Amino acid sequence: MKHTETSHLYDMVILGGGPAGFTAALYAARAGLSAVVLEQLSAGGQMALSHKIDNYPGFEDGIDGFTLAEKMQAQALRFGAEMELAGVQSADLASNPKVIQTSEGVFYGKTAVIATGAVPRTLGLPEEQALTGRGVHYCAACDGMFYRGKTVVVVGGGNSAAMDALLLSRVAKKVIVVHRRDTLRAEKVYHAPLLNAENVEFRWNSEVTQLLRGDRLRGVSIRTRDRALEEEILCDGVFISVGRRPATHLFDGQLALDDSGYVIADESTRTAIPGVYAVGDVRTKPVRQIVTAVADGAVAAHMVENYLSDQEG
Amino acid sequence: MQNMNAETFRDALARSEKPVLVDFWAPWCTYCRRIAPAFDKIAQQYADSLIVGKVNIDEEPALAQQEQIEVIPTLVLYRGGQAVASIVAPESKAMIDQFLEESAEK
Repeated sequence: MKHTETSHLYDMVILGGGPAGFTAALYAARAGLSAVVLEQLSAGGQMALSHKIDNYPGFEDGIDGFTLAEKMQAQALRFGAEMELAGVQSADLASNPKVIQTSEGVFYGKTAVIATGAVPRTLGLPEEQALTGRGVHYCAACDGMFYRGKTVVVVGGGNSAAMDALLLSRVAKKVIVVHRRDTLRAEKVYHAPLLNAENVEFRWNSEVTQLLRGDRLRGVSIRTRDRALEEEILCDGVFISVGRRPATHLFDGQLALDDSGYVIADESTRTAIPGVYAVGDVRTKPVRQIVTAVADGAVAAHMVENYLSDQEG
Repeated sequence: MQNMNAETFRDALARSEKPVLVDFWAPWCTYCRRIAPAFDKIAQQYADSLIVGKVNIDEEPALAQQEQIEVIPTLVLYRGGQAVASIVAPESKAMIDQFLEESAEK
């Protein structure tokens, strides 16, 4: 029961509907370009799972990520940009026009904007995939509520791990943070509330070596990094928050990627392929924030305008 | 798309000759909100072949328990009043399409 195949040629095809993608669409549409955002689920990307965003200027009381994403989408659509709930299956970026195969048909673009963002990194343990949703989770904001009054482990020590641990500490009976270092890497603002929380414990310099299971997760085995101590922690859930990896597997072999898999592009967002731009978290950059993502979107739209007028001129 | 309570859920299952696709969700579930636009699209796209509804498990806890919903969002496909297939937290609209295609023969 597939959609009718599309054969429309757009000035700009945007792969990914997070803040960078929808800002590129907004600026392109306002510049009179035809633009379509291809998004597999709904607007927002990683941001959509955030309960409260307090560092996006203009929302002094904070705003939840899903609502902010819906607003960004509505704003781009208001100026004539389009959005398709389409999963990208393959992309031929070197051809002219660019050919994007999706679950909803083929899209052609004079230019392509890569805004595919990043996804949670896994621990890479056996059983991890089988237990996902059955005790193993990657998003406390999404699944934390199932652990009211229970014991959970949080793996990681960065901002998102700290945020997850704080959120879970308000719901769960006990939260145990397992972190590879001897101190949190998260911003200072998270340290005091976590270290002072009565139901939060820490296992420093430790790594998860095994997921213990019955029908579902039963607990985790951890080991200190010097291998001196091993411990089994019985728990109802484990929330893994050990960073993200860029969603670039579709472009492997086409675009130059750095060692971590990010698309190599400078502040102009231009990649090595003419007419192909990389915006937001997927691009090599020092600061990955919503504000830097939306800035990339605006820059890419400007670059696309110049590129198209050069092509036509 | 209809919001179902225990009564309308039972009615839909008992009376409908078409399969019934139900999204078990809750307002606090961020991922449920994320799949909502895709689920709405599915409801439109399959309007001729499926009855599509949503059950808020906070309002219908007994129904959620009866249907053994442990994680949300869970989409359950019912045929002839029986649950024949389910999918937890699909990652894309395409995954829901695929789930329905694969469940067509069940």
